[in-house]
Amino acid sequence: MKRIAAALVLALVAGCSGGAESTGPGLAVGPTDAAATLRVLAGSELLDLEPVLAEAGVATGVRIELDPVGTIEGAEAVAAGTAEADHDAIWFSSNRYLALQPGAQDRLGTAIDIMSSPVVLGLRRSVAERLGWVGRPVTWSEIAAAAGAKQFTYGMTDPSASNSGFSAVVAVATALVGAGSALTLEQAESTVPALRDFFAAQTLAAGSSGFLQEAFVRRANGADPGAPVDGLINYESVLQGMNAAGTLPEPLELIRPADGVVTAEYPFTVLAAASPEARDAHRRLAEYLRTPDVQRAIAERTHRQPAVPGVLPLQSGTAVELPFPAQADVVDALLTSYFDKLRRPSRTIYVLDTSGSMAGDERIGALQRALAGLAGADPSLTGQYRRFRGREQVTLLPFSSTPESPQTFTVSEENPGPDRQRIADAGAALQPDGGTAIFDSLEAAYRIAEQQSAADPDRFTSIVLMTDGENTEGADLEAFRAFAGSRPAVPVFCVLFGESSVEEMEEVARLTGGRTFDARTAPLAEVFKEIRGYV
Amino acid sequence: MTAPAGRRSGRRVLSWLLALALLGVIGFVVLRDVGGQEPEPPALTVVTGVIGSEKDAFFSDQRVRDAFRAHGLELKIDPAGSRQIATTVRLEGYDFAFPSSSPAADKLLAQRPAARTYAPFSSPMAVATFAPIVELLTQAGVVAPGSTTFDVRRYLELAAAGTRWDQLPGNTAFPARKDVLLSTTAPCQSNSAAMYLGIASYVANADGVVTDQTVAAQVTPSVQPLFRDQGYLPPTTEVLFEDYLSAGMGRVPMALVYEAQYVAEALSPDPVLPADARLLYPSPTIFSRHTLVPLTPAGDRVGELLTTDPQLAALAAEHGFRPTDPRAFAAAFRDRGLPEPPALVDVVEPPSFDTLEGMLALLGCTP
Repeated sequence: MKRIAAALVLALVAGCSGGAESTGPGLAVGPTDAAATLRVLAGSELLDLEPVLAEAGVATGVRIELDPVGTIEGAEAVAAGTAEADHDAIWFSSNRYLALQPGAQDRLGTAIDIMSSPVVLGLRRSVAERLGWVGRPVTWSEIAAAAGAKQFTYGMTDPSASNSGFSAVVAVATALVGAGSALTLEQAESTVPALRDFFAAQTLAAGSSGFLQEAFVRRANGADPGAPVDGLINYESVLQGMNAAGTLPEPLELIRPADGVVTAEYPFTVLAAASPEARDAHRRLAEYLRTPDVQRAIAERTHRQPAVPGVLPLQSGTAVELPFPAQADVVDALLTSYFDKLRRPSRTIYVLDTSGSMAGDERIGALQRALAGLAGADPSLTGQYRRFRGREQVTLLPFSSTPESPQTFTVSEENPGPDRQRIADAGAALQPDGGTAIFDSLEAAYRIAEQQSAADPDRFTSIVLMTDGENTEGADLEAFRAFAGSRPAVPVFCVLFGESSVEEMEEVARLTGGRTFDARTAPLAEVFKEIRGYV
Repeated sequence: MTAPAGRRSGRRVLSWLLALALLGVIGFVVLRDVGGQEPEPPALTVVTGVIGSEKDAFFSDQRVRDAFRAHGLELKIDPAGSRQIATTVRLEGYDFAFPSSSPAADKLLAQRPAARTYAPFSSPMAVATFAPIVELLTQAGVVAPGSTTFDVRRYLELAAAGTRWDQLPGNTAFPARKDVLLSTTAPCQSNSAAMYLGIASYVANADGVVTDQTVAAQVTPSVQPLFRDQGYLPPTTEVLFEDYLSAGMGRVPMALVYEAQYVAEALSPDPVLPADARLLYPSPTIFSRHTLVPLTPAGDRVGELLTTDPQLAALAAEHGFRPTDPRAFAAAFRDRGLPEPPALVDVVEPPSFDTLEGMLALLGCTP
């Protein structure tokens, strides 16, 4: 017993993922003295398999390390060949996006499907009843019409950060614009009103599925200052898990659109460059995970459907699967159109510390490069989708001893390049000098958000706060708490940088329904890019 | 990684290692003594082969391994795509290559002449589908009433017109707003899709096998949408067939697979075919001729055994393949009390490997 316990010992390992920015701590399970270790670059949602993988490691004599990373970052790392430097296998919700990247296919070995779950809409039961969507087939067109009429709101992950959001964009476009086959380039560029209608109802955005769920639950329970959201677009398995967890005041009704869904099939894929030992370990693990008992355990624990036929009775034999575009240019066009033209436009206020301590290339220089990256200088795949978007309203509010005068830019929908350049130029002009008035500046940002929202209410509004030190002037955290408590919430996404106070930043994030991002261990530009998934 | 080790914990590790080593010695002695009571097994020759992945289940079958062992052979198998076997797989160190089609074998032969090749079994391309779909296809004139014949020409007409399921007359069983398209694998990666390309190009070429690049360039544009319009395609026929089995009609209303996959499932002691599963045969169809190319004398022995050993033929039949001797296939069905699949008459030859490669290149596949 003791020995098994020792073998099951579970260690949290800091993520490291050759070129791809890890999204958090991973997991390492299985015997520590195993002959083979399989290092897996994986989607973060797979961490829910931990107990199953721990047993799998013992049963197969393989130590398994999961290193979580976003789908598109992962695809980028595989295609560039950096993933294989320190990983043997990948395991994402889907290889479909990856397969489109030039050269990526050749880097993949055997792919073995383990389980599946479609991306569907979960709506608070009372809302689903009000819309008359319980117990009958509902199509994406009906959903888009109700969304356009503001009859419900929903949350969804950023499609450049997470496969569930990406699948949703593909499904909606294919169902609303497609003619019955995979989207063509022309269809992917479409901006028909139904698409804008559909995305107009999104009121909660997130760069990760975990944050989306937590924010949804906290808002539903009133723990977060933001308004409750009516529904979520996510994997059916995640929504079923939320219902089963019993933390929601009202269960979610699962709406699987009758005209089709996009399903994640979780292919566990060995990399072509893996050693023969790793290939063998992958094969043994995959075989173990596909044994009927383990398949049932996975289904029970994660609500995902088994990949192996006959393990469980067929759930819904006629649920239609929408064709997924297989051309890179089509997917690029679809995502670009989504970000620059279709989604609800954003309003983002960047509260940027330019105090004296920011002097130096690794501080102000890093900040200027981060802004330039968002303005289009970052040529990477993720950089392309995390730029300042068409229609976005961006305000730069530099501060030192006091908030300085804000500069606001609205990025053109048709020709965003010159506006992005102006933001980069404004960033390049920032000069470090003076003290650090964090909370005076946050309050100023709140007032700007209020004024801008009064003039133009229909936007995602958020504040990004970057400071490298503690508050030295003006209002303190207590004063800000009182200030923020009396006003409509604007989520503040705080960047931990230099000597900033982790405690205070976490408290600001908690108070406002935002979150913190750590730029002390990751490059500032990467963190700025990651935050884009939330704003 | 670990906490500062220090000399003391180093010593502890050492003593653990010693203990483990001791346990190992004891275990070895015990096991040797136990094993010593059994008769000495004959010396086995290890034979390594690279095979088309659809034969993986056959070669993993313990009974197949035992049958080879009885002849003194221990098989080590690496599965790979048949196209890869003919092009990119490095064959040094292998005793035989066993791709799933004759064109791939011909290509191999051109590079490494062998005295002879072996084609111990084959399997026709078939359409795995569901009873309601068969009914719809019958009404649409793709399936002759009461038959299992899938008229490829009529199907290509429907596909060319961009017909959706919900546009088929009288369709209440499957009114999906989705094109009537056979689900296939990715042609760049999978042999079954290449065989489908052979069938579709034959029909598009006014019932003639495409034999040169000029004709290939003429017919490829008309067959390209059959793949492109499906969007993302599964990499292997195993994945496609598993989707058919586990996700049902909505995901895969009809799939182009090997007959062997469906038959193996039907013949298995524990079949997981859906209750309304049906198998149709394209007309024309192509036989995927699994062709073993020996690279060493040991590999030649494997080919010979597969062709001559009645037990291996019977096992191949159980795995759904049609062995050279048709009696083995018939027996497998008789033993299960199931009707034997029809003898197929409308069978055409696949294009040569180079012509297929030419068409694949036109579809955007890189070598």
